Amino acid sequence: MNLVVTLQGVGGFFGRMERTHPLLPWLLAIVALLPLPLILSGLFNDYYVYLANRICIFIMLSVGLNIVKGFCGQVTVGHVGLYAIGAVTAAILSTNFGFSFWMTLPAAIFIAGLAGVVVGVPSFRLEGAYLALATLGLGESVRIMISVTPYLGSSTGLGGIPAPSAFGFTFDNFTRYYYLVMPIALVGIYLSFAILRSATGRAFQAIREDTIAAAAAGINVRKYKLLAFVISAMYAGCAGAMFAHMRPGYIHHNNFTIIEMVTLLLMIVLGGIGHVWGGVIGAIIVTIIYDQTKDFYFYQPLLFGSSMVLLVIFMPQGIGGLIDRYIVTQRFIDARREAGDGTS
Amino acid sequence: MALLETRMLSKSFGGLRAIQQLEMDVEEGSIHGLIGPNGSGKSTFFNLVTGVYKTDPGSVVRFAGEDITNFEAHEIGRRGVARTFQLLRLFSEMTVLQNLLVGYHTHTKYAAAAPIFRPRSVVRADQEASESMFELLSIIGLAEFADMPAGELSGGQRRLLSLGRAMAMRPKLLMLDEPAAGLSPTNVDVLMGIVLDLKKRYGLTLLIVEHILKVVMDTCDRVTVLDHGQKIGEGAPHEVKDDHAVVEAYLGKEMSDEEVRAAFAKAAR
Repeated sequence: MNLVVTLQGVGGFFGRMERTHPLLPWLLAIVALLPLPLILSGLFNDYYVYLANRICIFIMLSVGLNIVKGFCGQVTVGHVGLYAIGAVTAAILSTNFGFSFWMTLPAAIFIAGLAGVVVGVPSFRLEGAYLALATLGLGESVRIMISVTPYLGSSTGLGGIPAPSAFGFTFDNFTRYYYLVMPIALVGIYLSFAILRSATGRAFQAIREDTIAAAAAGINVRKYKLLAFVISAMYAGCAGAMFAHMRPGYIHHNNFTIIEMVTLLLMIVLGGIGHVWGGVIGAIIVTIIYDQTKDFYFYQPLLFGSSMVLLVIFMPQGIGGLIDRYIVTQRFIDARREAGDGTS
Repeated sequence: MALLETRMLSKSFGGLRAIQQLEMDVEEGSIHGLIGPNGSGKSTFFNLVTGVYKTDPGSVVRFAGEDITNFEAHEIGRRGVARTFQLLRLFSEMTVLQNLLVGYHTHTKYAAAAPIFRPRSVVRADQEASESMFELLSIIGLAEFADMPAGELSGGQRRLLSLGRAMAMRPKLLMLDEPAAGLSPTNVDVLMGIVLDLKKRYGLTLLIVEHILKVVMDTCDRVTVLDHGQKIGEGAPHEVKDDHAVVEAYLGKEMSDEEVRAAFAKAAR
């Protein structure tokens, strides 16, 4: 009950601000999140600031994955491969060619977007589990490529990736880096909302619900499927570049295994597939759990795999779905009360 | 002038010839009925015209004088052919309004990347779209359900919504695949009233597949009868009704006394 009231209150507050100016709530959110590293390092230690950075990177990944899987309904398990492509692109461009972060970020986004086309093309013919297998193959082959090619890091990984800097300010520790990745993550969330509520987002959802009916309504199904894959790949590329430039500036193919993919899937399943905020909440919760269970490294896949199965059985809509249902139910009860035939 | 023409339209699924060299003209501004027993190829015809299936070689489909044979489904939709589905195929998790807005998709005036910063032009275009969709919702009588997920509507409301979604495309030709299936007689009248109202308001051409013969006889200007993928009759409703081949296709051949005796004898054995 209280949760619903709070949520409606927050929602209404944001709605009012948004009507004043569409970007206002987002600017306020950035301002509100500014003191977080100070609080975290004051209450705990610097490690938790690192965790906050990781969460921001995973928010980019899960929000991006939600666009292709949640909005457009295309099951892809190759997302970590695109993340790896973004990270390796940023690493090589900065160490071998001396590009700055401001060049490697768009380059990583662009290259990952191109790779997204490759991952997206199988979706023209494949659906569901078959598409999942195809994308899984593509994602894993990226990781194996990296692990056997010396130029891409192979078994030693790529190190010495410089920290980003702007106007003489270097983002060279976790607190400083937070001020770079937090706004990027918020921009990612904002863009995801912008896509969802536009005609493009409706086209994605229509394809998820019924491909044939979407085509009959004049929607170019292939174009929009590919667009969803490319957009989500660009998110992954962005996350990859953010990861590569984070201290210690080192990437290894072990950062892009299938375990990471399962973790990522768990985030959006827990948060609620198709809910933008769900992806964010999932990223926060799962990153923290992942971190807290690191001592039981060997049992993590078991833990995550079984919790995924349990979630799909008992809470397929995720946290986002539960909140949605609360709000809808509450609205219904309110409407009944206003109509005067409520029983309570 | 014929708005939709098919010439030598054929489609085989393996050995099954679902449509055989069908020649059909749907006159602009008319209400054209398409009837026939189950499995006679009515739905296949719809799927061929709207690009869900590819036709066999030699077939020609022309819409408003343009050859649209084997165009992609969205290309055909874009040209002004809207259809409903027998199984409705609504976007159940989207709201009623969003269902219509998807139908309106091709008329959205901004580029795919424009909504990112939501400039005023996008906000205005979205508002205009919503307003004109609300107008349509009030015609089909679903305005008060605008924000409800389509999956939560009743059966009759879903049929109306599928009609509305097709109308949101602002089509020239509206193809209805069994619009009245499963409705009570009163609701059938309501639905057909709305369809006729929409036709008058927007100058539509209608092509209707329907099993409820009363609907076909009352509303259609012209009726084509299919059986085993072939045209076995065409004309005004009253002509078709009395056509020998048509009656036979629906009810079976009339038996002679001899045949009846033989059949009884066989059954008794």
